[in-house]
Amino acid sequence: MIGARSIAEPTIKDTVIHRMDPRAKILILISTVFVAVSLDNQKTMFLLFLIILSGFVIAKMPAIKIKTLVILLVLLIWGTIYSQALFYSQLPRTVIFTIIRPDFPVLGWLTGGGLFVYEEGLHHGAVQGLRSASILSLGLLMCWTTDSRDMLNGLVGLKVPYSVAFMVITAVRFLPIIITEVATVITVQRLRGFNPKKFGSGIIKTLLNILTPTLANCVRRTGTLAVSIQSRAFRANPDRTSLKKLEFSNIDKVMITVFVFAAISIVVIKLLYNMYTSGIYYTSSLRPVYAIAGGYL
Amino acid sequence: MKKIGFLLLVLVLIIQPVAAQVQQEDFKPEDMTTFTIQVPHGVEGNGLAVRNSTLSAYIFFESYYDGNMNVTVELDLPKGFVLHEPSANSFTLQTEYDDWYRLVDFYIPADTPFGVYNITAKAVVDVEGTKHTIVRTTQLKVASKEEVANAVSVSQLIVPSDEDGYGDPSHPSNTLVVQETSPALKKLLQVTDLKIEKKELTSTYMGIELTNTGNSTIHVIVTYDILDIKTGEPVKAFKPDIMGMKADTLCYATVTLSPGSSSLISLPIYISPDAMGGDYLLKVKVKLTGTDWIAVTKDQKITSISRRWGPIITTFAASLLGITALGFFFSRPRKIMDRFKTRNLVLIALFGTVSFAAISLPMTILWDLSHAIFGPFSFLFTGLFNEILLYMLIASLVVLIPKPGVISLFMMVRFLLGGFITGSFTPITFITLSINAIILEFLLYVAGVTGKNPAPDNRLKMGIICGFSDVISGYVSFSVWMVLYRLFYSNWYIAVNLLIDGFLYTFIGTWFGISLGNRLKKVVE
Repeated sequence: MIGARSIAEPTIKDTVIHRMDPRAKILILISTVFVAVSLDNQKTMFLLFLIILSGFVIAKMPAIKIKTLVILLVLLIWGTIYSQALFYSQLPRTVIFTIIRPDFPVLGWLTGGGLFVYEEGLHHGAVQGLRSASILSLGLLMCWTTDSRDMLNGLVGLKVPYSVAFMVITAVRFLPIIITEVATVITVQRLRGFNPKKFGSGIIKTLLNILTPTLANCVRRTGTLAVSIQSRAFRANPDRTSLKKLEFSNIDKVMITVFVFAAISIVVIKLLYNMYTSGIYYTSSLRPVYAIAGGYL
Repeated sequence: MKKIGFLLLVLVLIIQPVAAQVQQEDFKPEDMTTFTIQVPHGVEGNGLAVRNSTLSAYIFFESYYDGNMNVTVELDLPKGFVLHEPSANSFTLQTEYDDWYRLVDFYIPADTPFGVYNITAKAVVDVEGTKHTIVRTTQLKVASKEEVANAVSVSQLIVPSDEDGYGDPSHPSNTLVVQETSPALKKLLQVTDLKIEKKELTSTYMGIELTNTGNSTIHVIVTYDILDIKTGEPVKAFKPDIMGMKADTLCYATVTLSPGSSSLISLPIYISPDAMGGDYLLKVKVKLTGTDWIAVTKDQKITSISRRWGPIITTFAASLLGITALGFFFSRPRKIMDRFKTRNLVLIALFGTVSFAAISLPMTILWDLSHAIFGPFSFLFTGLFNEILLYMLIASLVVLIPKPGVISLFMMVRFLLGGFITGSFTPITFITLSINAIILEFLLYVAGVTGKNPAPDNRLKMGIICGFSDVISGYVSFSVWMVLYRLFYSNWYIAVNLLIDGFLYTFIGTWFGISLGNRLKKVVE
């Protein structure tokens, strides 16, 4: 649990990425998500992934976070590869392994003709895994390089209601306490003879026995915390001030412009291309656009 | 008297041949009949054939004479050619424009010397007892296979094309679009003018340009196959049965190529909805009439794009709904948030924290690990966290705060917390959580679980509502994965996942969650 905490908490350093405005980071993240979702070209997708990974180098991330990232990416990409190897539904496809034979009782019928590992599915899964990996990597880069308070300031700066921001702040602040509490409850359960690592019933019993005391403590805290907050004039005034005033630097402005423009362009181009390939809309004047989308996106 | 009788006899003898001659001059065989021969059928002029083939000679006779005529037609084939039926046919034509035709099959043996052969058809026309003979001759060249193969070529393949075989720039070349039924496809079906019972059958065309660089008229049959690019086996989904007939019955064309000419034809391509996306090999085959020998083939790689409108529409609708709900919230945040006491907000935030610590954080690793190890059956394990534990929290929170909006705020905290700490700001998370929140809020309010007189204690009702809601959000989630991330899932997998993970686990989680909520109520009190 303590390890999990140290992995989840941001590493604050003085790099270009750390100095970026949290609002800029959120906007860049949203733009990149749209780009990653739109792309189909394998090379371009891989390039995007490499660009995002280079951010970890620029941000000088500590080894433990790089290790965590690598583990997450390996599991994520392998999970996608595995599932797509089984469910790949395009041609050509080559069976390299049979998990359930088509004539296997019940399961053969249930799976609609067996379950196979397809060679082409492995390749497709690897390519599509890059999409999820890019989004996950950028999300982690953003949250590992930004203090949660700054991130929430950024959200408020992007017109997220303060009450919502407050709830998230409360949740973030209570996270270490609750993690510690969960750890304590697990220790108590172990002392009572439960084995949380025991697969099956062990996990279920542990989960149920952790949840009740943890939630009971949460509910108890609620009253105290609510009184404390209200006594500090929470929601008394519609407008709030902030200790730290966010300001966009010139680099932030350039980055936001570049990313937002790129995202809008790519999404529009891909949308037009998909309308063309689906026979919904075509105009000869957009042929260069179709060529770009077909060749590079 | 004897003299008179003699003179009359002489007159009769003189007049009779003259009268006969007059009548004979009334019937002109070339003007009053049409007599043609085509070898092979369809070729007017010099035909072409290869050895070891069976051809049909087409013989046609038409009368423009207003009266009876008896005709005997005889086909005279070169030595060595084998007729399959008697060479002579007799028939009677009784009126003007009456006609007769026949296809006469014959065989060219494998040992026939190459060369040009004369084929003659002779018609003997008997009109009023007078016989006239009409002769027609055509030439048939027996050529080597190499000669024919060198003369005929498929100079261009246009996929897809319009009905006339011309390229259609509004569709990407060498691409077929496999779609669920859509208005555009229905239009295409109408174009084919075929009353196809399977309405979902798609059709388009391919244009085939054939060139004859030889000196003979060549009569060919053009057909095609769409093959698995690896195994070379024909793919039935691209030649499905239509109205009980094999697609081969409809997907062919006969073409007569004059010497030194090119001809553009079109053939229909029928696509069943079972067709899969991917790369295929289009093989166009040109057979010389009368033989199964394929003179020319042309291969072209084509791509089939599979568009499933169901998941696309689901994703679009879910995204729109999620954005609308978000817009609604952002349009009146104060009004919505003021409905909750500070204590409620703190409780929701703390439940959000617990859900993050007990579900999201462990699942960051376990989710992918489980998928990597268990593959398609990982949902049986991850469902313990994602469904049972999550719905225990949701149900107990609703028991503690039975107000509309509580689930939306809980989901919002989960989404933002997950985004800040594990970087999971993904469109899938946003769409799934927002749809889950919207449906749950709506159903719980309609069922009276939340609202003015809340009744959150009915386990069965709440279990069914939460289970149903999770099935819908689960389906949306699969659709979003398929559309935005281009992933594939089998129908059976989606169905089993929704049934067990979506409904069963959720029902169990909700059932226990109400008990948990009631216990926590005592803590509050």
